[in-house]
Amino acid sequence: MKLRSFTLGIVILVVIFGSVFLADALGYWNTENLAQPVKFESGEYAGEFNPADIRGSYSFGDIENTFHIDASILAQAFEVAESQANAFQVKSLETIYESLAASGVEIGTNSVKYFVSLYTGLPFESTETIYLPTPAVEILIAKGKVSTEAAASLQEITVDIADFTNTSSNVTGAIPKGTETTTGFVIKGSTTFREILDTGISQKEIESVTGKALPNPLIVIKTYCTERQLDFETVKISLQALVDSK
Amino acid sequence: MTNVATNPPSRKPKKLRIRSWVQGFFLILVLAISLKKYLTELGINLSFLPDASLHAICPFGGVVSLYQFFTVGTFVQKIHDSAFVLMLAAFALALLVGPAICGWVCPFGTVQELIGTLGRKLHGKHYNNFIPSKVDKVLRYLRYVVLATVVYQTAVTGKLIFQGVDPYYALFNLWSGELAPAALILLGIIAVTSLFVERPWCKYACPYGAVLGLTNFIRIFKIRRNEQTCIQCGACNRACPMNITVSDTKTVNNHQCISCLKCTSEQNCPIAKTVELQVWRGEKS
Repeated sequence: MKLRSFTLGIVILVVIFGSVFLADALGYWNTENLAQPVKFESGEYAGEFNPADIRGSYSFGDIENTFHIDASILAQAFEVAESQANAFQVKSLETIYESLAASGVEIGTNSVKYFVSLYTGLPFESTETIYLPTPAVEILIAKGKVSTEAAASLQEITVDIADFTNTSSNVTGAIPKGTETTTGFVIKGSTTFREILDTGISQKEIESVTGKALPNPLIVIKTYCTERQLDFETVKISLQALVDSK
Repeated sequence: MTNVATNPPSRKPKKLRIRSWVQGFFLILVLAISLKKYLTELGINLSFLPDASLHAICPFGGVVSLYQFFTVGTFVQKIHDSAFVLMLAAFALALLVGPAICGWVCPFGTVQELIGTLGRKLHGKHYNNFIPSKVDKVLRYLRYVVLATVVYQTAVTGKLIFQGVDPYYALFNLWSGELAPAALILLGIIAVTSLFVERPWCKYACPYGAVLGLTNFIRIFKIRRNEQTCIQCGACNRACPMNITVSDTKTVNNHQCISCLKCTSEQNCPIAKTVELQVWRGEKS
């Protein structure tokens, strides 16, 4: 059997594009990172997306796709211009509300996780205090997502941002995707143990933070923590302190 | 063993047009995908193209991700399912017809060929014959060193370390701010070298070419030469961009063959049905 050049050309095109179409039909043709949190593996919420795994790189649009909360509602809740709602990255909140950090208040990725948890009724636990802006709490109450008692307790963590006029200008100057916020090494949701080792932190030091033997260093720390029910924020803060001390 | 040289050519060779069309198509496709983001910012809408980075459509990304995929279950940073799909398609194709991805699809190979067209005009028959064969023979194994280094380093770090020196990535990101100086320098070296040597990157340094090249030993369709009709004119040897001596072999098993078919009776061999792409029947070369 022989192949002529014309036939070979056709074979090449068929194999390549056939593979692409087949993979697409089977749901394996992904050219971008899937912005999807892990799902609860067991219990009452098995199969549901876990708000604890929402990452700073996710956009409000990604959250809409996974948790079915309109991006426009998230934009209202966190005082983001609605025109930018879909593409707005969660981590950009930390830039917008940067000035609040001086008073020990942080509105960022954790706030979004908490809001999503309250809005959807999915469980989310954190060891640190999480703050929500006033509009977020108002939306939760108005839509009946929280009980009266819960609404009262939310007042303690509500941040009045009515006087905070820097918002809209900071939105446009929010962190572009894939950039660092500081010049030093910052642990993010996509950081692996290998990257921590590369900063000069020893295996023993990492193990002292996680309390477990170091897994394959190529594993993403956040994924590891979520799978082993460790609080990522706590691990992150401890590891970041080690990195900063080097 | 071979026919005498008095056996006249039975027909004029035809130009191999289909390969040029396929190469041009993939060059434009990759260029458009890599330019999409930039063009969108300029108001030019290419919505029919996928939102993909070069990494997402590079099958070598799948190769370097294999270790992490099987040990951790994830891809190397910046690599996605699509790279894996294309890697599998390229392997399937290579097992069937050899590294046709190199000879027909790879846009970087196409660009080197285009520069080589100018080199051929400048140097005539000396083009692609500048490097002494002894040196050339050793250098041909350099790409396996590159392959081993890249695969090992990627496995250890979990990062696309090759991006920092990859001239292919640099070429299709010339308009972006993501250029690594080393990759840019290497791109310049390859561009200049292409004026003297055909496909220098493919021959001496391409790690993906090294992987696919190994399928030349086991591929189903191979380049076969009919000793009975061959007139030993050497046209096949001269046509081969990878400097393979086709006229010395019955079946081309060389790890550098890129299945371009330039040596065949369809293109440069002057005798019909003498050098062809045929099912391999296990004959030795």
